[in-house]
Amino acid sequence: MQLDPVTLDLIENALKNARFEMDEVVRRVSLSPVIREQHDEFPMICDAAGRMVVGQFGSYIPGVLERYGADLADGDVFIWNDPYACKGSISHNNDWCVMLPVFHQGTLVGFSSIFGHMIDVGGKVPGSMPADARTIWEEGLRVPPVRIYEGGRLNQGVLDIMLNNSRTPDTNRSDMMALIAGCRTAAVRVCEICDRFGQDVYVAACQALLDRTRRAMAVLIAKYIPQVPVSFTDYVDDDGRGNGPFRMTLSIYRDGDIAVFDWTGTDAQAEGPINFLIHEGLCKLFFGVYMIMAYDPEILFNEGFYDLFRVVLPEGSLLNPRFPAALGNRLNTHTRFFDCQAGALGQQAPHLSMAAGYGTSPHFIYTGQDADGRYFQLMELLFGGVPGRPRGDGFDGHAWWPLFSATPLEYIENYYPVIVESYRPVRDSGGAGLHRGGCGIEKIYRVLAAGDVSIHDDRETVPPWGINGGLHGGTSSKHIIRAGSDTPESVPSKIDNLKVMPGDRVVFRTAGSGGWGDPLERPPASVARDVRYGVVSAERAATDYGVIVVGGQADAAATEALRATQLQARGPASKFDFGPRPQTI
Amino acid sequence: MRLGIDVGGTFTDLLLHDDATGRTWQAKTPSTPADQSVGVLEGIRLISRIAGITPNDIRLVLHGTTVATNAVLEGKGARVGLLVTEGFEYVLHLAKSWTPGPLFGWIIMDKPEPPASLDDTRAIAERMDAKGNVLRALDVAQATAAIDALCGSGIEALTISLMHAYANPAHERALGEIVARRFPDLPVSLSSDILPEFREYDRTITTVINDYVRPVMRRYLSRIEGRMAAEGMTARLHIVRSDGGLMSAAAAAERPVHTVLSGPAGGVTSTVMLARQTGRARLLGFDMGGTSTDVCVVLDGEPVVSRTTEVGSFPAKVPTLDVRSVGAGGGSIAEVADLTGSLRVGPRSAGAQPGPVAYGRGGTEPAVSDANVVLGYLSPTLLDGSMQLDVEAARRAVGALGARIGLTPEQAAQGILDIANETMLGALRVITVQRGLDPRDFGIVAFGGAGPLHGNALAAVLGCYPVIVPPRPGVFSALGFVQSEFKNEFTQTLIRTAAALDEAEVWRTVDDLSVRATAWLEAEHIPTGDRRLSAVIDMRYEQQGFEVAVALTDAAMAARDLAAVIAQYHRDHERMYGVRFAVPVELVAVRVIAAGRTPGLREVAPQVAPGTSRTGSRPCFFAGAWHDTPTHDRTRLPPGATLTGPAIVDQYDTTTVILPGHRAEVDAFGNLLIWPATEAK
Repeated sequence: MQLDPVTLDLIENALKNARFEMDEVVRRVSLSPVIREQHDEFPMICDAAGRMVVGQFGSYIPGVLERYGADLADGDVFIWNDPYACKGSISHNNDWCVMLPVFHQGTLVGFSSIFGHMIDVGGKVPGSMPADARTIWEEGLRVPPVRIYEGGRLNQGVLDIMLNNSRTPDTNRSDMMALIAGCRTAAVRVCEICDRFGQDVYVAACQALLDRTRRAMAVLIAKYIPQVPVSFTDYVDDDGRGNGPFRMTLSIYRDGDIAVFDWTGTDAQAEGPINFLIHEGLCKLFFGVYMIMAYDPEILFNEGFYDLFRVVLPEGSLLNPRFPAALGNRLNTHTRFFDCQAGALGQQAPHLSMAAGYGTSPHFIYTGQDADGRYFQLMELLFGGVPGRPRGDGFDGHAWWPLFSATPLEYIENYYPVIVESYRPVRDSGGAGLHRGGCGIEKIYRVLAAGDVSIHDDRETVPPWGINGGLHGGTSSKHIIRAGSDTPESVPSKIDNLKVMPGDRVVFRTAGSGGWGDPLERPPASVARDVRYGVVSAERAATDYGVIVVGGQADAAATEALRATQLQARGPASKFDFGPRPQTI
Repeated sequence: MRLGIDVGGTFTDLLLHDDATGRTWQAKTPSTPADQSVGVLEGIRLISRIAGITPNDIRLVLHGTTVATNAVLEGKGARVGLLVTEGFEYVLHLAKSWTPGPLFGWIIMDKPEPPASLDDTRAIAERMDAKGNVLRALDVAQATAAIDALCGSGIEALTISLMHAYANPAHERALGEIVARRFPDLPVSLSSDILPEFREYDRTITTVINDYVRPVMRRYLSRIEGRMAAEGMTARLHIVRSDGGLMSAAAAAERPVHTVLSGPAGGVTSTVMLARQTGRARLLGFDMGGTSTDVCVVLDGEPVVSRTTEVGSFPAKVPTLDVRSVGAGGGSIAEVADLTGSLRVGPRSAGAQPGPVAYGRGGTEPAVSDANVVLGYLSPTLLDGSMQLDVEAARRAVGALGARIGLTPEQAAQGILDIANETMLGALRVITVQRGLDPRDFGIVAFGGAGPLHGNALAAVLGCYPVIVPPRPGVFSALGFVQSEFKNEFTQTLIRTAAALDEAEVWRTVDDLSVRATAWLEAEHIPTGDRRLSAVIDMRYEQQGFEVAVALTDAAMAARDLAAVIAQYHRDHERMYGVRFAVPVELVAVRVIAAGRTPGLREVAPQVAPGTSRTGSRPCFFAGAWHDTPTHDRTRLPPGATLTGPAIVDQYDTTTVILPGHRAEVDAFGNLLIWPATEAK
């Protein structure tokens, strides 16, 4: 098969266009704000072997194919949500994954797939992620890979069962149809590419795109992965059942041409639902994408490099739990996975080093009945500090997760019985650094109807660390102020069924993030601006940055003197600043 | 006489039309970025000389301007103050919290400073709820103190954007009055005026952008009016809006955010007019310039209007002709990626300076234009011989790039064009197939400096024929300005579920907006016979985030039949996205659009003798081999003339490539139409 480099580039671009078209279709059609406004959906296009050629996550098709083998037909659409039935291709029941085989002139040429977060899939609490679950049986309906369309015909029975087990059937139905519409769009595009260039050319191009990314990764591994192991340890606060903190330890080294990522030393699986069942392929993908983004973001993000990575996930650990461990609240562990990765890789290459962020995906779920007696279920993802990075400051109250965005407050207030009283960055929660870490946000909800609140958060006891001299960031906190009272009562990071009455206020503060680089080298004018903007206090400007701010401007002479004293007292900056951690660590 | 003026990054294009004689003249003069009005006046003098008139013979000046866009892109707008509801001071700072994909996209994210600084943002003690009820009364004393402190601090314009002001603008208006009393000279915009729609970030940023560009726009307009007056001109000056309509200069000074896509709108209008002229109801517009390419779609002879656009990295929610822009143009630079060895074209551009290698102005990296030179498509001399290209330098640069990935110079040049074309195809697919439209049902209008070079190749992939190259592709946008209509839109947010609808309220809203629209037409002196009103209702499935605009047909209006409108919504949603749902539909907004017709442009085609167009030949590289290719002079191709590909048609400011296996003919209006050789007319 002759494949010229230009055709290869053309097919690469055409596949990228198709993948963004999938996003667009899903965004337009879906009803739930979680998918539409917050973009909690992840598309991909795979080759006939199920390897992701373009997309964001990937790697799960082979796990599903084991079950069905060659029994695939044009017009089939598969759906599933059980993490244990697909080897961790998705990691909690809320993610509904759809996948369809793409046939061109009767030949299987690939797969398209998307998973998206459904706001409710049943189980014992609204939102289906009970903070205190001990087994996955408590987390809603589990669907193994089944055909939702068979040869183009809807399998109404399956759909009815799935919707019958959700508190939000209408939303789930439309969101699922949105995911399927996105996959079908991709299938049409793939067939067009086959028509245009030839099916054999397309198949060869998919392999070549995988190979090309593999070659690039081999260079990155040789350059940045040392033969002597580097290790890093970070912690998840707790599991929602009073246990914790949970240790996660990653060691990275190079064995010949192979990069080894070894999680030995990570704690055993938790009693509560913070276990993260991760597919080994996904694990590799996460390492790969980090290196691609840090080195050359234009490299096509696919799974061509899998054989260059070896991953050790100890069985029975937080990252490889045994059935039926609860998984609903795995995002804390998921994010700490990335924190460990950044901490380990960053030790060798400063330009690959990022500080730690807000460390989870904070959820706020509020359910009840509105004034008209209608059931409502507000689910919102919150954001926090995006870390200091080689390129510059982190971001205050932004999404660590890709492509997510905040639901407009005016949207929430139009559709749910809630008033948001204020929405501001949390001052001093961004870790000091040459590049300041982003601040967490404080959102104050005043509820207008009696109901229940669920909260999922982390980084309340183990702060986000700073790197390369940068300092740690602020921790999270949640409080409730009852109607008629002024006294905030503390609310745990992981809780369900918090009863609220009209007039009660929930004060949700997410964690900030760590700083990058020596804060004593940050330009005083930038520190003064941060003080004027209300994101750094004048006190912390002095203690953390050695900058004296008077009347909104830095006092040059006083700053110089203070910085000299602080430098003398401190000596060289340390690689990491972990901040105050719980005694038990 | 009507004069269209299109100020681009490199050139200011002018097109003058004499309604009495049907004659048209064009002119091109260098743009003057420091003060665009200098180049505009130079152009007016030039075209007057060419046409043998005095500037005062011009009755109407129709101007598309990039002043507003450039101010945002270059960060050179005004210092804007911002008043917001207490608790939401960080609305622009937090923005949408968005970071790019894939995972770790934030590592490489650059976030520009918002156009209103936190230093210049003040909180106002007040609050409305979503229904417009007052939750917290406006604290006038606190507000007055905040206004005094802010407005006396040196800001040049002020935005007032309060929570839920679209539902009840009372507090915004009260603040506006306080400012008007105490700082009467300060330009002020209310979010409830500029964008009375929900979503606080979008509303606020759109209004702030309006203020950010307003002083710049005011200065520009007063300079241009001053220069015209000094020249003895009494022509009326109108500015082209982003939706292709015209607004008076005074209105543009108040709402410049409506001009952010003023420039590309001309090409869309021209494409629409071409659709009507030729009776081809479905056309794609393909405007390829030096740094970017704009594409648009025309359906049933009408442009598609979008509700939102982006200026730099900021969203602006204003009615905009739906133009998709991609960073691929004649100046886009080609390079080979270090790690993967893949060939990439753009988004970096050589721009006008240094320009492509062939221009000999110091460019060293091969650009798309260089690839066109290497393959022989671009003539070694341009602009009627006034510009000489360095063919050898282009060949060396493209050849060096190709050598890195094992390609000959010709293969590399072909590859650069193919990759650039693929980027543009992506944009064309987005506006067609992504909306359920089959590009094979469309013709494609190729214009701009580089459009006619690439149009045939794009059509060969997409199957959109004919390729239509208008008589003056280089000034097609200015031509559009001359044909623009007066236009304004009147909107009322009306979030109501269709299940429990007070139909009378909806029709009352339509009627109220129509009254306002008619008053506006009156104020703009539009003759009764030229007026047109149309109404649309924006609808969606309950809680969906995006609306579909459903036009009220004359029948629905006459019968006051909302059920028919809702049924149409279901059909439209299914056509666009392939699904319809059984969940309730809700109304979101009612809009009435007022338009004032402009007389059409009747251009008399020049009379030339048939068979005199051939100018010679030059070697061109097609499909892997060199062909001695005939060249023709566009000005000597009369209606009815036919050509067989491969052929090159040269004209003053652009070149048309007719590929092998294609034929071309000139229609009665002077358009060059390219078809596959095998296809019947």
